[in-house]
Amino acid sequence: MESKKKQIAKQLVGIERYNPDNIEPLVSYVDFQAREPAAYDVEANLALLKLLQFNGMSKPDTQRKILLKSLTALPASDFTLCKCLIDETTQHHTVVARILKLHDDLETCNFIGFWLSLRDCAELVADIVGFEDSIRRFICRVISITYQTIDKVTLSELLNTPVDTAQGVANLGYWIDRYRWTDSDRHVLVSNHDDSIKTKNIVEKISFESVMGLMKL
Amino acid sequence: MAALYHSEDFVEGGLSYAYDSGHVDYEYNIPSGLAMNVGASPMYDESEMQRHRIASMLQPEVIEFLVYFQKCIKEKSIGELQVIYETGFDKMSADFFRQESWPEADVVAPIVNNDKIFLMLYKELYYRYLYSKSGKNLVSQQREESYYNYCDIFNYILVGDYDSEESNPVGLELPNQWLWDIIDEFIYQFQAFNQYRSRVFAQQHKSNMESEFGYLSETSSWNVMSVLNVLHSLVDVSNINEQLTVYNSGGDPTSVSGVYGSIPLYKNLGYFALIGLLRLQCLFGDYYQAIKVLDNVDFNTKSTYTRVAACQVTTYYYAGFAYLMMRRYQDAIRSFCNILLFIQRTNKMFQAREYQQTAMSKINDQMYHLLAICLVLHPMPIDESVDSQLQEKCGDKIRKMQSRDVQEASVEFEQCFTFACPKFLSPISNYIDDGGRGIDITREAFNLQLKVFQEEVNQQYILPTIRSYLKLYTSMSMEKLADFLNVTMVDLKFHLLCYKHKLNNRVWVKGAGGLSGEFQSSSELDFYIDGNMIHIADTKVSRRYADYFIRQIHKFAELHNTLKQLPTPKK
Repeated sequence: MESKKKQIAKQLVGIERYNPDNIEPLVSYVDFQAREPAAYDVEANLALLKLLQFNGMSKPDTQRKILLKSLTALPASDFTLCKCLIDETTQHHTVVARILKLHDDLETCNFIGFWLSLRDCAELVADIVGFEDSIRRFICRVISITYQTIDKVTLSELLNTPVDTAQGVANLGYWIDRYRWTDSDRHVLVSNHDDSIKTKNIVEKISFESVMGLMKL
Repeated sequence: MAALYHSEDFVEGGLSYAYDSGHVDYEYNIPSGLAMNVGASPMYDESEMQRHRIASMLQPEVIEFLVYFQKCIKEKSIGELQVIYETGFDKMSADFFRQESWPEADVVAPIVNNDKIFLMLYKELYYRYLYSKSGKNLVSQQREESYYNYCDIFNYILVGDYDSEESNPVGLELPNQWLWDIIDEFIYQFQAFNQYRSRVFAQQHKSNMESEFGYLSETSSWNVMSVLNVLHSLVDVSNINEQLTVYNSGGDPTSVSGVYGSIPLYKNLGYFALIGLLRLQCLFGDYYQAIKVLDNVDFNTKSTYTRVAACQVTTYYYAGFAYLMMRRYQDAIRSFCNILLFIQRTNKMFQAREYQQTAMSKINDQMYHLLAICLVLHPMPIDESVDSQLQEKCGDKIRKMQSRDVQEASVEFEQCFTFACPKFLSPISNYIDDGGRGIDITREAFNLQLKVFQEEVNQQYILPTIRSYLKLYTSMSMEKLADFLNVTMVDLKFHLLCYKHKLNNRVWVKGAGGLSGEFQSSSELDFYIDGNMIHIADTKVSRRYADYFIRQIHKFAELHNTLKQLPTPKK
């Protein structure tokens, strides 16, 4: 993956970035990223969107894949950057509009709404391998910075791992273990924020050096 | 013989007026009849006749100025060139060309012996002055001529002397301010052309637009690829990125600069081209690339690599705006504060050109508006002097943006953004038939960026309200907060998660490379949820007095010293 990234990066240096010949290789690079969950290259994707804009071309399928991959990059604001390079007419197409709704749900942290919307457009994300897990990673991250203890039911709802199925329970267990949270019966201890989040009183510190000059006067 | 050269004859025979909504442009045509009459006499040849004509049209001071100007450029006397460029030219413009433009290059050519290089630079100033006087009224032909002149200038600089076989750096030396202005104006005229073209395309059905429309559909001037190519070539030829990397690590840039890069003209043009690229990428909405272009420019610490103030201001404005659109509010706030402080402190020292001063004060206001937007979305303490100016200029707007009334806040955000954002450009250059709907594509480009911004703001609409409630307590139950906000428990959970998510952004920590950074949480108001309780951590900043006292002590000491040195009055 690293070598491929470097190879593509070399083709996008300086004015070469705007060479229309780069479009085809970049399109297949996006397909590669869709197949590999760990592969993601925001620079190449943005370069492709730019090239499509400049040359007045439209590749809806590739644009869909780029947008979905940038959703997996949350909390980085890559999706917003992509939005800035896709014109409004394209944004009104049904496919793109649904992806924008997904993004909106995720950004406002309406995770339950997100899973519902996703169920309705499951076919859109079918070819992005590991999409759901990447989103769960993001959700877990937000949970870990917000909660100290969270009850299991809420947690399972947010992660879409329903506790009434065996599969769901197993999934939930997997995510709890992955982030090294502690599972007590009804609650999950996420992390101890007591030390990091405390009321701060910023008092001015006056160093001796800054007043040394005054002492001489 | 003298009667042949009576000035009135020239006026009637040799001039054609082109009226441009009140602005008179002289176009000189030597009517062939007159030339032939003269040719018959062996004593007067064409150049002599031209010189006489010029003598009757231009004041002697202007001719003297132009000759002196040419001499300075030839002799590379940088100090004098700086004076001419920064004050001399403007003075001449104000004295002799207040109502009209400078004479065209053809008129001036005989005075300077058709010096190609001087004429290129003269034309640059000529068109710049024209744009400043009547920019909106210029027609495609004039814009295209200016474009070709820039092509000539850049070809000359990049390819080298016309005479030599291989390309060598040219032996030209120009003041840094001029070099910056060339790049700045080049991009500005590109912007103006784009806006003009999309206006014409949108109004093409109007009768007086047909010829312009036809012309614009065919022409290939001012196309985005050439503009990008020029900037990238300047960057490449000067090895400016390599030089900056070495400079940042404390080494000697000349070790990597190459033949071209070690010459100040190329080095400075390379640096200014980088800033030009930053600006261009922002205009196209490519914010990631905009910050990436500055990879080697360490603009987050307070060093200044260049002394051209306008360049500094442009850098920080566009960098701050790009950060804002990337939701990196802390970085945006820091950029704006840096430059606003800089402007406050160096206000007296700015250049005299009228249109540049108005441009400077406009960008100053725009940055205050952007800073206001950032601080509403991400409150944090800032420098006191910037803060007081901010309250003065935008205090009202800030209050409206923080209002509980979502509609009012949203309108205010839109107004501030519209005022403060750059003039976006559309990447589409060909005419696209939209069925006569008259869509202005430059306006479309702006609408897109505004939409992205508004969506971001809408996602955060409830956050200021939450913040105001959380400020009042050190801990409160979820039910209580849900009650205050009048939302369900389910919704409240999302809002709180959203609060934490939106205020946890990437912040630059150290080193060059503006894109890098760690995820940090907003420090001002933080909280965590434990079961059903929200534990809140506020940041109280105690009033800083040390700095104030130290400054006043120094001031008084200085005053005391000055008084001591004054002569005592004799009785």
